[in-house]
Amino acid sequence: MKLTRRMTMAAFAAVLAASSAIPAYAVDLIAIITPSHDNPFFKAEAVGAEAKAKELGYETLVLVHDDDANKQSQLIDTAIGRGAKAIILDNAGSEASIAAVQKAKDAGVPSFLIDREINATGVAVSQIVSNNYQGAQLGAEEFVKLMGESGNYVELLGRESDLNAGIRSKGYHDVIDEYPEMKMVAQQSANWSQTEAYAKMETILQANPDIKGVISGNDTMAMGAIAALQAAGRKDVIVVGFDGSNDVRDSIKSGGIKATVLQPAYAQAQMAVQQAHEYITTGKKPVEEKQLMDCVLITSENADQLETFALTN
Amino acid sequence: MRNLKAAAVLVLAGAMALSSCKIIKTPTSEEAAQAATGGFAPDRMVAEIWDSKVLPYLDKKAGPFPEVAALAASDPDAAGAKYGHKEKQGSAPWTFATRLSGTIVAAETKSRSAYVEVDADGDGKADARVQIGPAIRGTAIRDSLDFVNFNEFKNQIEWAQYGKAFNTHVNGLVLEKLSRDGLVGKKIEAVGAYPLPAKGQLPLVAPARLTVEG
Repeated sequence: MKLTRRMTMAAFAAVLAASSAIPAYAVDLIAIITPSHDNPFFKAEAVGAEAKAKELGYETLVLVHDDDANKQSQLIDTAIGRGAKAIILDNAGSEASIAAVQKAKDAGVPSFLIDREINATGVAVSQIVSNNYQGAQLGAEEFVKLMGESGNYVELLGRESDLNAGIRSKGYHDVIDEYPEMKMVAQQSANWSQTEAYAKMETILQANPDIKGVISGNDTMAMGAIAALQAAGRKDVIVVGFDGSNDVRDSIKSGGIKATVLQPAYAQAQMAVQQAHEYITTGKKPVEEKQLMDCVLITSENADQLETFALTN
Repeated sequence: MRNLKAAAVLVLAGAMALSSCKIIKTPTSEEAAQAATGGFAPDRMVAEIWDSKVLPYLDKKAGPFPEVAALAASDPDAAGAKYGHKEKQGSAPWTFATRLSGTIVAAETKSRSAYVEVDADGDGKADARVQIGPAIRGTAIRDSLDFVNFNEFKNQIEWAQYGKAFNTHVNGLVLEKLSRDGLVGKKIEAVGAYPLPAKGQLPLVAPARLTVEG
């Protein structure tokens, strides 16, 4: 009895010691907040950021906001409450997110944005984004070439609140609209979603059976479109996507989708964590807040080199 | 309070985007239209700096094409430091300013993104492509300038519109007037810019000045 009690006390003391020791030696925390991992692009970002953070000795808190600005705001509160030293954020809207990032800044937590920018500077420490316009032009140039500079086509747009949906569409049209014989017969948003793109494509195809091509604002929608086209027996329709996912790579290799544009998602996320680490340890900010990462055209010629949003040599 | 700050940040970003515009006293109907679209007028911004800043910069920075191309092939960073520009951060390649003279050895004029192939060293083979529009690929002219910066723009959309405005300007000023007949065999002189090409590809020059004779 005595022995047990002594042991209990010792255990209790040990627990006490351990628990009081945790705050003193706690590992610094980095919060990683992105849209839903259902889209492999966002998953690759989270995985890339997490791997880099762990490599640099951080604990991570990986969260998803599902493109809901209110949920994002709550997650930022969680990150602040948990004492995160930095937030890596792929945000839920270029306007709506400014306040959330400002809130973190006011609480002393710096944010490092990836993939999507916000319409403000001086709030986040860095904004590392793909050069969506450059990438969209590459995709559109290939699309125009595949179409022989003429024919009816469909554009699938991304989520309207996301600046990247607008910039990609602009990049596409700045190229395609230079060709008067290219005619857009339908333009609809499928909100980046594969299932929505499938349904939209089915309907569009019924109204416009004479289409020759589909240009999509991202890869998941391109996957939805190609599935609907194949289900309708339309293997002749040219589909071009944007992102560089493994799904689309496999489709390109098997002769389905014709091209996509790789965004270096994995490298981008790792770079953001590296800059966060610099800032946490030295207080140094990157020379420029907004940083553009160039995109690369992926066709059957280089699809073999693509793996998890990175090109191997 | 939060909203106030956000609003202040927005106003600041807007002010920064506008900082390269001149203030003109009497607003015309065109300016009133611009005010309605938030005051962002990329075409006018480009027109205002074209003669006073863009051409003088390119004329001064441009190196003879054979020299630029040789240095870019052996040491892109050295070539960039001497003849080029790129954003300090991010992963954009160098964009080089160059002065190209030679003979047109081939012309693609059927495509809307027409170009001529130019032999610059007299061996009869093409060393570069010069875009002759009306569709101009990329944003090389914007990207070659060291006095314009993405961080001074509200977002990628405005930065893209600005880049496109350079292409539109050069097309209206120079390229639309160019005859597309019998180009092969003629002499060409161009001052322009091109991004570091991918391996095995010809440099694709966007011209700011262009003359074809002979």
